Amino acid sequence: MENFSALFGGAEPPPPPAALGFGPAKAPGAGAAPAPASAAPPPGEDAARKAAAGPFYLLRELPGTTELTGSTNLITHYNLEHAYNKFCGKKVKEKLSNFLPDLPGMIDLPGSHDNSSLRSLIEKPPICGSSFTPLTGTMLTGFRLHAGPLPEQCRLMHIQPPKKKNKHKHKQSRTQDPVPPETPSDSDHKKKKKKKEEDPERKRKKKEKKKKKNRHSPEHPGVGGSQASSSSSLR
Amino acid sequence: MAVAEKFDSLEEHLEKFVENIRQLGIIVSDFQPSSQTGLNQKLNFMVTGLQDIDKCRQQLHDISVPLEVFEYIDQGRNPQLYTKECLERALAKNEQVKGKIDTMKKFKSLLIQELTKVFPEDMAKYKAIRGEDPPP
Repeated sequence: MENFSALFGGAEPPPPPAALGFGPAKAPGAGAAPAPASAAPPPGEDAARKAAAGPFYLLRELPGTTELTGSTNLITHYNLEHAYNKFCGKKVKEKLSNFLPDLPGMIDLPGSHDNSSLRSLIEKPPICGSSFTPLTGTMLTGFRLHAGPLPEQCRLMHIQPPKKKNKHKHKQSRTQDPVPPETPSDSDHKKKKKKKEEDPERKRKKKEKKKKKNRHSPEHPGVGGSQASSSSSLR
Repeated sequence: MAVAEKFDSLEEHLEKFVENIRQLGIIVSDFQPSSQTGLNQKLNFMVTGLQDIDKCRQQLHDISVPLEVFEYIDQGRNPQLYTKECLERALAKNEQVKGKIDTMKKFKSLLIQELTKVFPEDMAKYKAIRGEDPPP
């Protein structure tokens, strides 16, 4: 059996310390190498340590046991169990409006749609001064507005996703411009009312038809009746 | 000042600013000549609001925000999803690395075991240098 040191070390000078691996490759049957003690110690700062290591070279110090590695649960190590349970234990709602429920406006739309993305704020920062100064009387003259409602396309502020909290705001917008939001809701009400009004009449007609059918087909009165009832329930 | 207090102050200023802007929007959406003074007042509130938010910057200079969060916000998604995915990714990677370390430890102990059978003298020297390894 060949010597272990003959396999992993030899008379030849070892590779530079930066190299990884077990040194120069040797065929297993290359013959017994001279004793490693006779080998010339490699030049370098850790030559003494290697000499002390006996038949071995390229022995590196093992990582300390105190060193933090992936073998420990890092989430518990950094006391993040609470955060983990909070975010991963239950389902997190998808929309931004669930995170910021009190923020007005349609915030669930992508920022690229209305040029309001935070990315663009970083990539193309606005050109402005370093400080904020209050507006003087002359500056405020630039903000004199004409009386009257805004055109339709500028009313994005008032479009809200359906929420219970924002009912009050909807009322305000309706008082300002009652025509567009109320018309569809009114028509809906009318449709529903019509349906309700029609329903009893239909039922009567169907009942009359059933009676007629029963009269015409006395052999199977039960079957026809059940079919009619099922179809009416489906409708 | 505690970290939570710093955020509370910023949050409060942001909420006031947003509310002021909302009210400004309502005034502007159906403007009446009588509401010009109110509008001017709101405009100056906006400036002072921005000043207040700017002042919060000094207290939060040590806070860093990952850029990926902005992508979530820009897409109209809940930024808490980012935190969730980060934690899940961290745990998955942690488990992967732990698996690798455990496997390597097992391999090492098996290798030492087998080498000791074949090269008992050399391995005795090796163990004298390294010391006995704890079982994996």
